[in-house]
Amino acid sequence: MKFGRSSRRRSLFAMVALLALVSVFVVRLVDIQIVRADELNAASLAARSTTEDILGARGSIVDASGKVLAQSVMRYDVVISPKNAKPFEREVDGKDATVSVAQASAELGRALGMSGESVQAIIADSLKDDPDSDYAYVKKMVDLATWQAVDALDIQWVYGEGHPSRTYPDGAVAGNIVGFVGDDGEALAGEEAAADKCLVGKDGSTSYQTGVDGVEIPGSTTDSVAAKNGGTLKLTIDSDLQWNVQQALAQQAQAVGAAWGTAVVQEVKTGKLVAVADYPSVDPNNIDATDAEDRGSRAFTASYEPGSTFKALTAASAIDAGVADPLTQVVAPYRINFPNGADINDSEYHGDENLTLTGVLIESSNTGMSQIGEKLTDQQRYDYYKKFGLGTETEADFPAQDPGNLNGTPDSWDPQTKYATMFGQGLTTTAVQIASVYQTIANGGVRLPVQLVEGCTQEDGTVTDVPSTKGEQVVSATAAKQTSDILEMVYQQGWLANVWNIPGYRVASKTGTAQMPDGNGGYSHGYLVSVSGFAPADDPQYVVSVSLADPVNMNTSGAAAPIFKQVMSQVLKKYRVVPTDTAATQLPANW
Amino acid sequence: MNETLARAPQMPVWGSLAQSAAAPEPIQAPSATPSWRPSITIAPTRDQRRARPRLFYAIVAVSGVAAIFIAKLLLSVALSQGAYESSHAESELKHLQQNAQAVGEDLDRVKSPQYLAENAAALGMVTNAHPAYLRLSDGAVLGQPQAADSATGGAGNAVPNSLLTGVPLVTDPPPAAAEPAAKPAEKPATKTHKTTDAAATAGAAGTTEAATAAGAGVGPAGIPTPVTH
Repeated sequence: MKFGRSSRRRSLFAMVALLALVSVFVVRLVDIQIVRADELNAASLAARSTTEDILGARGSIVDASGKVLAQSVMRYDVVISPKNAKPFEREVDGKDATVSVAQASAELGRALGMSGESVQAIIADSLKDDPDSDYAYVKKMVDLATWQAVDALDIQWVYGEGHPSRTYPDGAVAGNIVGFVGDDGEALAGEEAAADKCLVGKDGSTSYQTGVDGVEIPGSTTDSVAAKNGGTLKLTIDSDLQWNVQQALAQQAQAVGAAWGTAVVQEVKTGKLVAVADYPSVDPNNIDATDAEDRGSRAFTASYEPGSTFKALTAASAIDAGVADPLTQVVAPYRINFPNGADINDSEYHGDENLTLTGVLIESSNTGMSQIGEKLTDQQRYDYYKKFGLGTETEADFPAQDPGNLNGTPDSWDPQTKYATMFGQGLTTTAVQIASVYQTIANGGVRLPVQLVEGCTQEDGTVTDVPSTKGEQVVSATAAKQTSDILEMVYQQGWLANVWNIPGYRVASKTGTAQMPDGNGGYSHGYLVSVSGFAPADDPQYVVSVSLADPVNMNTSGAAAPIFKQVMSQVLKKYRVVPTDTAATQLPANW
Repeated sequence: MNETLARAPQMPVWGSLAQSAAAPEPIQAPSATPSWRPSITIAPTRDQRRARPRLFYAIVAVSGVAAIFIAKLLLSVALSQGAYESSHAESELKHLQQNAQAVGEDLDRVKSPQYLAENAAALGMVTNAHPAYLRLSDGAVLGQPQAADSATGGAGNAVPNSLLTGVPLVTDPPPAAAEPAAKPAEKPATKTHKTTDAAATAGAAGTTEAATAAGAGVGPAGIPTPVTH
């Protein structure tokens, strides 16, 4: 049986060889089908499929009525492939015609508003740097009409790339508040930056398999991530009123040669800012036209010594604390040297006057105000400042807000500062903070959070970032009403009575003429002139606060009064505030 | 088996079946059988007959498969046709969205307060800083009405908007307004001679027609300028 043994060995050998072969195949199969399955599938898919990004657009910023202040638009970058810039055939009138590079460049240049030579120069320059150059910008961010004109030229080495951009239909109207984004879409200023989280969109993508002609193979969508558009940010600003305020501010600021100015309109019963104007103001469509320091909103970001408009706050505090009333009597000389060494004088020389608190505000007497103010302790006054919202950023969500400077705490006030703070020197506030002080007085002593944003509405309808409306009683309703009565007397009897008069309405207002710091610890010759007030005094609806810095042609608050009048009458007209025929409570100024 | 054989000749149909129909019966006896007696075939039982493949079912099955194949083919054709249509419709949608956005931008721009104010000023309107109201119920005048003075608000717009550069006011003479309409006409003109000729002919025919043609040429890229007569 030697035959049998050999054949058995052979078949054993064959079996082993077969087994080995099969196991190699199995290993390979497992490797391909299981171990590297995902990787190989992805690679094969990538070879067959096209991935397309879906743009998640940045959200819009709208005003209180829903009018668009900032929105995302598509612009187009016109790109050429310099290495392919050669004469090409184009069908003209049914026949093929050769188009030279010069002719194509001229056509392209005409569509883009540049010369054909400059297009050829771009081609030559990029070829000089890199003979294989396949990518060079001819012009960035052209609009759709221009791109369609370029596309219609049908030049084979020219193509366009979408470039999401931002446009601001109202230009500089609320440009200071809305802010702007950079070329790369990065939020740089204003609400664009403050509410970036609300506005920013998230790009999605979809990939599918395509046929030879680039058309999607039905049912082949393999992977799809939905894009998320950004939310819509609604401001409390009214764009029409904002224009009116900016217009009035800019015209008067130019007329009196002011360095800068602000005007704030706030709704008394809600705390909403309906207009925040700055002069000069940035046009977000063209930020280069505005100096860097003028591109924000000084109403929020620049604090200054407010001056005499601040006396309303001291009066309200003194009345609330029960140490004074509108008829409290003082003798106001031109100059007082207080026992602590402070030396206070009025702006113009006068003899001793017998003034009531009402009279102190009408005459805007610093010496009179100092005698009322010293009835309160420094700590008491400081506590009122804090309760009125001074020394801290307002609730409005705005980038780089200036909290104002209360010059430390009462312990660190020097003798002069102790008195100067009673009439608005020696401490700083922003324009919005001053508007908020007047809102508190107008609203029966209840200070409402300053609102600039109504909310952020996401695509799915959820609303976030809704500001708080919880008010805080700062002074009693009686104290607020009495202060309002005093301010009405100032409006009727102050030296600007004829300038800011709005017939038919009861208005409460106060002027301020503050010395401006020279930057070296002293005061310069410039003044910051201002008017703040509210109307109608019998049922306050709106606060208007106007400031002009260093108006060289008219260095008194008379420079700001026409703006106050124009803005206030526009506000009353716009919001249909009906005039009342009631009379103001008459308070004596003298005794 | 015997019983079956014995019973077979009694079947009334078998003779005619063999002669006239000559159907290919698998168990039919060969024709070479002696003629002195009728050929004998094994008559299938009822069960056997039932078990025979029937042509009807074969046709149904085959045509069913064919129908499925054809339907699948047609479906695929329709699907890929649909893919082309959908691809075309999508690109058209994109195009229309782009145009809608561009037109919307134009609209937003002319809706801006600056443009309204400049137009109002150009028409000679001024702001009145003295609001007053007429109450309809009793005709009472609320507030103190005063005539508006041209001093306020007459100095033109002081709030910049670079988007309005070159946008004509309502009071501007029409030729300036016709200019943007003429510009897009260059676009087709550079592409084919036909359009150029047509435009030239229209130009020769009369200004009104030319303006209309140019206006139509604006297409969705911009707001067509109305032609006034």
